[in-house]
Amino acid sequence: MFFHIVLERNMQLHPRYFGRNLRDNLVSKLMKDVEGTCSGRHGFVVAVTGIENIGKGLIRDGTGFVTFPVKYQCVVFRPFKGEILEAVVTMVNKMGFFAEAGPVQIFVSNHLIPDDMEFQSGDMPNYTTSDGSVKIQKDSEVRLKIIGTRVDATEIFCIGTIKDDFLGVINDPATV
Amino acid sequence: MVDHYNKLVKLAARAFYDDLTSKGENQVKSGRSDNRGIAVVILDALTRRQWVREEDLAKDLKLHTKQLRRTLRFFEEEKIITREYRRETAKGAKLYSAATAATVDAQLTGKEGEEKVKLHTHSYCCLDYAQIYDVVRYRIHRMKKLLKDELDNKNTIEEYICTKCGKRYNALDALRLVSFEDDDFHCESCNGKLEVESDKFVVQEGADGDDNARRRRHEKLKDMLQKMEIQLKPLMDQLSRVKDLPVPEFGSLIAWEARASAMGRAANGDMAGDSKMSQLGYNGAPMPYSGDTKVVVDFNGTEGNRHDVKSETESSSLKVLPPWMIKSGMVLTKEQRGEVKEEIKMDGTSTSTSAQYSDDKKSTVDHDDKKNIQAFPCSFHLKDEYIKAYYAALLKQQHEMEASKKQDSSDTFTENDPSSRASVRQVGIKSKHEEDDDDDGTDWEQAPVAGTGNENYKVNDLNVQADVAPADVDEDEDVDWEEG
Ligand SMILES: [Zn+2]
Repeated sequence: MFFHIVLERNMQLHPRYFGRNLRDNLVSKLMKDVEGTCSGRHGFVVAVTGIENIGKGLIRDGTGFVTFPVKYQCVVFRPFKGEILEAVVTMVNKMGFFAEAGPVQIFVSNHLIPDDMEFQSGDMPNYTTSDGSVKIQKDSEVRLKIIGTRVDATEIFCIGTIKDDFLGVINDPATV
Repeated sequence: MVDHYNKLVKLAARAFYDDLTSKGENQVKSGRSDNRGIAVVILDALTRRQWVREEDLAKDLKLHTKQLRRTLRFFEEEKIITREYRRETAKGAKLYSAATAATVDAQLTGKEGEEKVKLHTHSYCCLDYAQIYDVVRYRIHRMKKLLKDELDNKNTIEEYICTKCGKRYNALDALRLVSFEDDDFHCESCNGKLEVESDKFVVQEGADGDDNARRRRHEKLKDMLQKMEIQLKPLMDQLSRVKDLPVPEFGSLIAWEARASAMGRAANGDMAGDSKMSQLGYNGAPMPYSGDTKVVVDFNGTEGNRHDVKSETESSSLKVLPPWMIKSGMVLTKEQRGEVKEEIKMDGTSTSTSAQYSDDKKSTVDHDDKKNIQAFPCSFHLKDEYIKAYYAALLKQQHEMEASKKQDSSDTFTENDPSSRASVRQVGIKSKHEEDDDDDGTDWEQAPVAGTGNENYKVNDLNVQADVAPADVDEDEDVDWEEG
């Protein structure tokens, strides 16, 4: 699920960035620093959308670096248990398959893949129905439901299922 | 048909809402305030009604309105009932009462006549059978699915165990276990091959228990599922019974009201004399078929009577429209407004000698009114308030006419002529008749109008005079009227 929230961060800036463009430098550094990162609390920071406020800088003893408290708005993505996501399959093996929904990695183990789909090894390992009409392989798009999340301070990992109504392949690259 | 659905509601109420409590937030739960089962009582009561005003329902169930509303709000959220709110005058409420009078089980709360201009918000509720059918099925489906999913180890997290060192992992570690050498997961510490643990790790509560706990949980789930099948069997049987039956639909409150009162009219017989007032909806908007039975009925009675007892109706039906019934835009003859004096010939009683009326003007008026009253009891009854309002207006009209009599009668009568008094009353009678039935009245009314003189018509109508009720009857009626 996506959220638009306000976060705060203390930015350290080298004195060489001071001058007319200080603010721009600060913002571009902020984007470089936080976009794509993940915090267990808020999820993945997808994009910085605006600056709320930049506080007074504090010069650090000895180094000359200045710390600015920056309040910024950003879009974050946080997966939840029970959430339905659409994801792209990145790897298939006999234990199941891995998929990505944006920055989130999801593992679907083979017992959460419908029983009528069998694992086929080979160059392009895949799960296929007995009549061959449905195939899950690398780059397939699937709709899955998250049934568990592991949230660390800097990492979120999910496991999902496609063994439920309206879940499974939504676009098969092999047939396109 | 409705019975089957009602049984479904009753079964569902007992199955799902029996232990529902509707206590207030800070209310201490004691034996006295324990109102479990009230939900069942309310739902049962609703199966015996269609649309019902919530205040009336509370009164019937001897519940506090607040408590009832709390439960009803819950049922609204559960999609079991539909509710409607509207701001309405006492008249709007009257419409509803008229509608309920037509339905079988509802009681009449009769508040007619209180012409309160103040608007009150009233809420109404009604069972939504179509939705109840779906809601109950969905609920059972969800209950079963939840248990079955857990039994089938859906939504469970796979566990893996190292074949070499026996270290355990689960699917959440999958990312770290992937090896690019083969399709297998490998142990982080010894790079041994991982195998799927057969005993699954249940996500739900009691998840991290030992094997025994897991097995017990499994047994419990099976047991619950089995018990559910048995206990919900009557409900599911009922569901399959109503499956192919048409769903009882009451429609929206307004539609239902219109239909119910139409049905009521059908039950009450011919409603040809539907009064103009009754055509108005609760807020004054035109509303077809929403006849107000109470008002309608009395004219009807008068009309019906006329054919049987000719002379009596002639005297009673000829009435001036009371001023409150005359609205701008109505097409009224002068007679109806009480302005024309020529209709004397129409009145049977008036054909009697002038001496009969010379004693007192009031007696004639009373006589008239009394006839009207007599007309009512034939299968209909009128609300007291309405009668009072009606006669008050009538009397006022009569007095007004008496006052204006001098100008009116100047052309035909002298002021002292007793027959002029009679004419005042006759005018009223005539108009009343027209209001009842325009078509019927025209024929026998118009002809006499054509007559030029007083004397003329008196001769013509002698036979009518014969039918006139005896004088003693009139006196009796006078007495009654005064008491009334
Ligand atoms: Zn190992």
